[in-house]
Amino acid sequence: MSVRFWRSPGIWSLLLLFALVIAWEWAVAAFAWSQLVLPAPSVVAVSLWKGLASGYFWPHIVQTSIEVVAGLALGGLFGFACGLMLGESAFGRRVFMPYVVASQVVPKLALAPLLTVWLGFGTLPMVVITALVCFFPLLESTMTGIAQAHPSRLELFRMLGATRWQTLWRLKVPTGLPAILAGLRMAVVLALVGAVVGEFIGSSQGLGALIIAAQGSMDTPLMFAVLILITLLGWLFYLAVLWLQKKLLHPYIITQGSKES
Amino acid sequence: MGEHFLSMRQVGFAYPGAPVVVSGVDWQMPAGTIHCLLGRSGCGKSTLLKLAAGLLLPDTGSVMLEGMPLRGPGPLTGFVFQAPTLLEWLNVIDNVLLPVSLQRKPDAADRAHAHSLLKELGLDGMQARYPQQLSGGQQSRVAIARALLTRPSLLLMDEPFAALDALTREELQVSLLEVCRQHESSVLFVTHDIAEAVYLADRVAVMDKGRLIFEQDIVLSRPRPPDVRHGEQFNAICARLRQVMAANDGVSLLRQGQS
Repeated sequence: MSVRFWRSPGIWSLLLLFALVIAWEWAVAAFAWSQLVLPAPSVVAVSLWKGLASGYFWPHIVQTSIEVVAGLALGGLFGFACGLMLGESAFGRRVFMPYVVASQVVPKLALAPLLTVWLGFGTLPMVVITALVCFFPLLESTMTGIAQAHPSRLELFRMLGATRWQTLWRLKVPTGLPAILAGLRMAVVLALVGAVVGEFIGSSQGLGALIIAAQGSMDTPLMFAVLILITLLGWLFYLAVLWLQKKLLHPYIITQGSKES
Repeated sequence: MGEHFLSMRQVGFAYPGAPVVVSGVDWQMPAGTIHCLLGRSGCGKSTLLKLAAGLLLPDTGSVMLEGMPLRGPGPLTGFVFQAPTLLEWLNVIDNVLLPVSLQRKPDAADRAHAHSLLKELGLDGMQARYPQQLSGGQQSRVAIARALLTRPSLLLMDEPFAALDALTREELQVSLLEVCRQHESSVLFVTHDIAEAVYLADRVAVMDKGRLIFEQDIVLSRPRPPDVRHGEQFNAICARLRQVMAANDGVSLLRQGQS
């Protein structure tokens, strides 16, 4: 194998994973830990495979994915819209910011029992919790992002007779886009946490509910299997946002280096 | 008043809560001329330019453009800012078309006009590039093309070449004169570079502490080849202006003149 192969950080990342899994497997055998406390990776892998092959996991994966996507869309769009409004109006900021901050200091997951009282069990309360969690990162990043427009560019738009609406959509939002997408990246991670923890409290479907079910039947390998699923799902969502970011920010990240001449 | 294209009378301005930046400025500019405003950093020359653009309104006195009092930024004026304010998410052609695309959807004629401006400024074949892919000089050229797109009768330029290296700056000065000759543009150009002012201008005014302290017609013939800059006459004018700028205020200069 070539030197380049061994210099690739990806290879070392993977090797580290293998090493950790092997050490874990060895430790479980060597110290004879109970499967209830820490199951060996091989046992977890079997549980994971069984769940996937039998189709037992799939409805739960779909449920959690729907909650994350719907919650992210709802909370993200609402946060973006509010960020635009508060970013544009200093008066609005002074009036509403204390309430926005207060609403963020309330642990939103503590609202889950209340939401199940109001909205019943099922998808809707989980979507609402996820949306609440996603709201603030988008609000904050949109508000700061659109404030970054350079004064001389604002003057340029004034010179060109741009309306307030045009200045917002054609100068401030594109200027803030990198910051807004950074907010989205944060929101997508938080969304998964929101959905899963929401399911702990008020749902019989979804990966969070599955963990509670596994706890009830003292099936620790299943718990680990679901944890792996959640990690993979979060990773997938994060990669999707990275892909979106790469698409949208394409013109921003072209450098001198890619000059053709 | 009609004969003067841009006319400022006793113009004064202060930012709220700050000392006066511009005071008692009288300035007349006939159509088709290039005037340069020369001064050190912080002397108020950029503010005066913004007053001419209608971006700021004077506290005292009046600014008239084509015989009408200026009440705000208008389509008659094109502005080139200190840093090329190109939008990095738009490619070159869309940046140039921005003044039109803010009003309506650009049509084929607009595109053709933008292309011809880019060609005049030596940016042929760069339409699809993004600003980050251009050199500083090329970015300045795009900014000039953008300012010229709406065929403004007055072009205001705020130290547009200040950030460029000396050679690129001289190339751009030559291009600017050429473009202005073809479009018969009137230009008010702000700079701190004496040679730049003398090379470009029909008339140079020196500004200090918010006042115009000295004005001089530049009698060099046009068109001006680049090597005018090495001529005796050119250097004499530059030396005179340098002396004016080095003197701290108009009063000490007057004394010098009397002695």
